[in-house]
Amino acid sequence: MIGRSTRGQWGGGGRLRLARVLWVLMTVLAVAAAPLLAAPGRGTPYKIGFIASITGPGASLGIPEREVARIIQERVNAEGGVAGPDGVRHDVQILINDDQSLADVAASLARRLIEQERVQVLVAGTLSGPSLAMVPIASDARTPMISMASARAIIEDPQSKRMRPWLFKPVPENLHSAQKQAEYLQAVGITGVCHLYENTAYGQDTFASAQALFPKAGIRILYGDSFDRTGTEFPQVTRVRASGCRAVVIGSIPPAASLINVAVAGRVGGRKIVHGHGACSPDLIRTAGAAAEGTVMPCGKILVSDQLPANDPVRRVNLALIQDYQRATGGQAISTFAGHAFDALSWALLALGQVPDGLPLDRARDAVREALETKIKNYAGTHGVMSLSPDDHLGFNPADFVIVTVREGKFVILPRNQWK
Amino acid sequence: MGTGEPPVPTVIDVPHVSPRRRPHVSGQAALAGAIGVTVVVLVALGRRFGYGPVDYLQLLVDGLRTGVIYALVALGFVVVHRVTGVINFAQGAFVMLGPMITISLFGMPWLPAPGQRLLLSAALAVLITAAVGMAVHRAALHPVRAASLLTRIIITVGIYIVIQGIALIIWGPRPYVLPAFSTLQMADRTFLVGEVIIQAQTIWIWATAAATVGLMGLFFERTVAGKAMRACAVNRTAAQLMGIRVDTMATLAFGLAAVLGAIGGIVLGPVTRPTFDMGLELGLKGFVAAIMGGLVSFQGAAIGGLVLGVLETLWAGVTLAGFKDLFAFVVLILLLLIRPQGFLAAREEAESP
Amino acid sequence: MRHPRAGDAIGFAVAALLIALVGWIELARPFGSSLARLTAGLLTIDLLIRAGIFTIILVGLNLLMGYAGQVSLGQAAFYGMGAFFSAILTVRAQVLGIPAAVWSAWWWPWVLMVAGAAMVGGVAYLIGWVILRLRGHYLAMATLGLGIIVFIILRENLGLPRLNLTGGFDGIVGIDRLRVGALVVWPAPRYFLLVWAVVLGAMAVGLNVVHSPIGRALRAIHGSEAAAESVGVVTPAFKAQIFALSAAMASLAGSLYAHFQAAVVPGTFGFVPSLELVVMSAIGGMASIWGAPFGALAVLLVQELLRTHVLGILPAVSGELEPVVFGALLVVIMMFWPAGLVASRRGGQRIGVR
Repeated sequence: MIGRSTRGQWGGGGRLRLARVLWVLMTVLAVAAAPLLAAPGRGTPYKIGFIASITGPGASLGIPEREVARIIQERVNAEGGVAGPDGVRHDVQILINDDQSLADVAASLARRLIEQERVQVLVAGTLSGPSLAMVPIASDARTPMISMASARAIIEDPQSKRMRPWLFKPVPENLHSAQKQAEYLQAVGITGVCHLYENTAYGQDTFASAQALFPKAGIRILYGDSFDRTGTEFPQVTRVRASGCRAVVIGSIPPAASLINVAVAGRVGGRKIVHGHGACSPDLIRTAGAAAEGTVMPCGKILVSDQLPANDPVRRVNLALIQDYQRATGGQAISTFAGHAFDALSWALLALGQVPDGLPLDRARDAVREALETKIKNYAGTHGVMSLSPDDHLGFNPADFVIVTVREGKFVILPRNQWK
Repeated sequence: MGTGEPPVPTVIDVPHVSPRRRPHVSGQAALAGAIGVTVVVLVALGRRFGYGPVDYLQLLVDGLRTGVIYALVALGFVVVHRVTGVINFAQGAFVMLGPMITISLFGMPWLPAPGQRLLLSAALAVLITAAVGMAVHRAALHPVRAASLLTRIIITVGIYIVIQGIALIIWGPRPYVLPAFSTLQMADRTFLVGEVIIQAQTIWIWATAAATVGLMGLFFERTVAGKAMRACAVNRTAAQLMGIRVDTMATLAFGLAAVLGAIGGIVLGPVTRPTFDMGLELGLKGFVAAIMGGLVSFQGAAIGGLVLGVLETLWAGVTLAGFKDLFAFVVLILLLLIRPQGFLAAREEAESP
Repeated sequence: MRHPRAGDAIGFAVAALLIALVGWIELARPFGSSLARLTAGLLTIDLLIRAGIFTIILVGLNLLMGYAGQVSLGQAAFYGMGAFFSAILTVRAQVLGIPAAVWSAWWWPWVLMVAGAAMVGGVAYLIGWVILRLRGHYLAMATLGLGIIVFIILRENLGLPRLNLTGGFDGIVGIDRLRVGALVVWPAPRYFLLVWAVVLGAMAVGLNVVHSPIGRALRAIHGSEAAAESVGVVTPAFKAQIFALSAAMASLAGSLYAHFQAAVVPGTFGFVPSLELVVMSAIGGMASIWGAPFGALAVLLVQELLRTHVLGILPAVSGELEPVVFGALLVVIMMFWPAGLVASRRGGQRIGVR
């Protein structure tokens, strides 16, 4: 059993040593940080509650997002805060938190930011799961929340198909990605594809989107299956070989996307590999290496900013961000997730700039929400030119996706006339 | 009766005897039977995918690759358990430290020739991991060697969490790349045997594992330290009476387990993308493999690893991706319920559970 | 026998007072204060509710681990089963063909809570009969395996993606709040009172078990199964009963969690949360009913500190410190205070009937 030597430890009642209880509690309380410092006031300082998945499976998305949050904080500080419509300047503090890719932690952090920190707006949620968990919290607390995740259900109620009044996101959805993929496949004349997706919510959603959209473009999914995100063997590749599909569509994010890419490229030659927008990250190239050459995927413009035409307003925004990003990270290439964070935070700042000074917290949050719905028009973000409205809390135009390919270890725009 | 042995019943403990007399089945026969049944079931499930013999062969090869890694990890469990009685949950952490340290060392330009650098980085990484393993034992387990077995097991769980946490701080959450041994780059050479694709790294895995097991056998048979360790495993008190420093042997056992784990992780590294949390799954599955040998038999653990690897890969080939991990844990439960002493415990060194 | 129950009675009275006090502060907000303001942002209603939910699980776990000497490294599985039971049968009730009049009624979630606890307890009883004949660390491994198996099944939508019962990786969102007739048990201070009322109930049950003949029998079993059997205590039945009770409590806690968080994801109920429960149990005292709330509170407080306040000191590190601190905590506590940090054994072990 447990062993004789433990009898005393386990048996008998548990009498509380009150002194010990107090000692433990005191120690814990004593370590608590000092109360927050009041910022030197002009207008009341604004707080943005920023929650990203900096650790856990979402870290490859969340870390770039955190970098961008820091960059924006620096920029805002340099400008002396944000100016309201009445000219009063307000300091802006971006409170950066890590939800560890867990819905639980995200929910607790959201509640804390709303109730304790009294933020005016939340920019929260790298992954769809934690974002969805925060949706009822933000809605109940009447606090506007801008998510950096892609699930449609974040901004739209799946039953009623109506926009959730307090939720916004600048991130394109898997439906848009699938649409662009279908466009490409149709243009190059591929009618039979395999669809491999990682066994996560994101992957499942890419498959569902493909199932919804591909048939309309005359594309048949000959073989569709999930693969283990953390696996090293992929028996699914064997079945790809057997199915006779001419292209393999992959719904995954790196490193899983890289591993399956390597497996498919290594074992099944001659098929076109088409990724989804979740693979638009330098991590793909870094972890897939030569196997990623020639793959195509629909990506946000930020990934290929230097190749955009000079008159594209998005180009200027992106190049400035990339410069700051590389300075802050010591030369790392940018990913689309950083762009999502940039757009989300920019919206928040724009909206805060519409709030008159002196409003109580709940009215301020109302004002931010309204500003988001009505004042974000033709805004040049990292992924395109966006406009929000009461019926559209997304603002992303699917036409702003570009098809991108990997050539010599870099992302390169593939213009339509070169699709093959 | 010392406190470091594998668990022995306390006081007078009447084993739970089932009222029906069970027919006496030898371990090997039972295992062969179980494997046979499983294979038949899996093949039947695989028919809907139209798998041919080539596909099954491919799955077999892939499974043997994974299985060899499981076997190495399992051996680490057995070493520690036989010498100290503890189930070392930190074993998975050693599997992770091997490749991660190798990658860090390889990335530093202290030797121009990449091949040499990789080899030496790997060797250094193994040594460092061994040091970590021994330090872990000295600091956290040796002082409480009189504590209950369960307490010490939970301590190893805590140690796993700490090591993984430190790995997260040092290396971050991103996946890293360990170059393939044959090409010293990410892309590996592949061989075609018939229609079955074998990566060069797979050969490395098999060769390294064989060499490691061979060396370990030599260690236990020929060296004084090895024989002393075996003596501790068989009868701790007698070993002490013979003048063997049992505590030193315990620390050494941890070091050896760390070496085994690290080698397994390093040689697997190029196939996957090493991450700070890769040790959890490998550790748990290696543990299941070790149970096949009742935690006391090296051969049992090695064969258990291979069997688990192959069957699991077969299962992965016929089921939804998310259910792949289910297999190992169902096997674990079944093993614990039906035959916790394992199928393959070598008779002369078997201990009762 | 001196009156151990007297101490318990005092403890309950004090606890009830504290709970009522906290509830009043949060509901009435005298002088604009709140619990958070009074404790420099450390204690929030959110934290206390979560602590209460964990305490309910811990009472059952401590009965199992401390008094019956059985160990569970997969208790989060029962927690998750209760949470998903409540979630599925309220949010996905339509899919299962339950009439709307039933699943929209105010009493339905309460029925589910009890039914879920009973069902999970029943399942645990059956499992317990089979598994509890394993001893010591073999049992630990088995519960570990079971916990992971349940987690995988929940995560994979029970293998029935079409029905989409558990919602896969993302779980289920949009769970309604609990209601009593027309009164909604929300906002948070009301839920806090509910949860801690259940905590007190669970602790009362736990203490009853401890002080009952069954409890004495359990301590006896813990010392030696053969001796226990020789005085007529039927071992497998008792162990299975305690296992079932601990599972039922965990399931109840899971249901309370579902209506609190309004969303359940499988990730909340995996291997690591089971370990967290073990850490909480270790801190509060594995053999202590009264230690359970302190274990839960201590762990949650440390987590809060690491997630929020530490950022002021070490801005570069966020969630990365948590596992190191927890692992180190677990190691240190098991090394120096294996009987528990806060509560510990009374002197001496009593075997047999008294």
